Amino acid sequence: METLARIEVTALSLWFRESGLAFFGSLTLHSLAMALVVGINLAIAFRLLGIVPSFALKPLMRFYQIHWIAVILIFLSGLALLLAYPAKALTNPVFYAKFAMLSVGLIIASKLQNLIRTRSENELNSKTVKLVALTSIVVWVGTITTGRFLAYTNSVLLASRFF
Amino acid sequence: MIELLSSFSKFTGIYAFMNSPWGWPTAESIHFLGLSLLIGCVGVFDLRMLGVGRGINYLQMHKLVKIGVFGYCLNLTTGIMFLTTAPDQYLFNPAFQTKLLFMLIAGLNMFWFYASYSGQVKATEATTSVAEPAKIIAMLSLLCWMAVIICGRLITYFRPPYHWCWFC
Repeated sequence: METLARIEVTALSLWFRESGLAFFGSLTLHSLAMALVVGINLAIAFRLLGIVPSFALKPLMRFYQIHWIAVILIFLSGLALLLAYPAKALTNPVFYAKFAMLSVGLIIASKLQNLIRTRSENELNSKTVKLVALTSIVVWVGTITTGRFLAYTNSVLLASRFF
Repeated sequence: MIELLSSFSKFTGIYAFMNSPWGWPTAESIHFLGLSLLIGCVGVFDLRMLGVGRGINYLQMHKLVKIGVFGYCLNLTTGIMFLTTAPDQYLFNPAFQTKLLFMLIAGLNMFWFYASYSGQVKATEATTSVAEPAKIIAMLSLLCWMAVIICGRLITYFRPPYHWCWFC
């Protein structure tokens, strides 16, 4: 807690917390990038599950480029939000649940990207791929849910008030 | 107006649900899921019209839009739940008013697409670019939904600014 309090009084943390534009910008960027990442993953999962009619999968690789740029933005904006209120997130178990879900989601995304790149359209029609796609949907819904609940479940806002 | 919305919320049970311990964050989670479906399906189709994913058939990919519409319905339902539960937090909030404006522009843009270029786009070869006006529609759609997300964040970040909002 003392370390978190020390982080909170750094110039960068104060700037992210007290500059309206920096905090709002990070929050908005986080939402935009998250919607894009979750959206692209859901669209690909629906295609792999056969919920939408088949369209060529290989050209989807271009969407993965946008996806990974958005992932970088998620981490940068997430880091900014974490720096602004480190105790709020790091003392909340829901934060770790979100982080774990996000990590699993990205591992699955990477796995699916690799499968789309290396396998034929027929091979991608297997039950295993469908199961991975379904898991991807569940994990992304979990990431969104934990992300939203994060704002309502914190017990500590600032660690510096304890010192 | 506020009384009418509040009465609707109380009569339908929305108010009780939203004021339960996990009601509001649950509705927010569904709202964001709807938004992701919208961005993931309508947004991805917009990107396709802008030239991303060359080789993907337009007609086949357009089928994703149906899921995007489902996402929009989730947004609309949960949006009504937020609005009727705390109407004073929304009706007088310029961020909410601006969000509605962008939703209206997105709707008119969609109408423009289906009234003029939809058939042409669906018939376009997968390796060919769509017509320039269709690209403008796609860009406008993406910008509108991004603006909707930004305004959505502003709603909760800035509480009703009675002191400066001249058009409230």
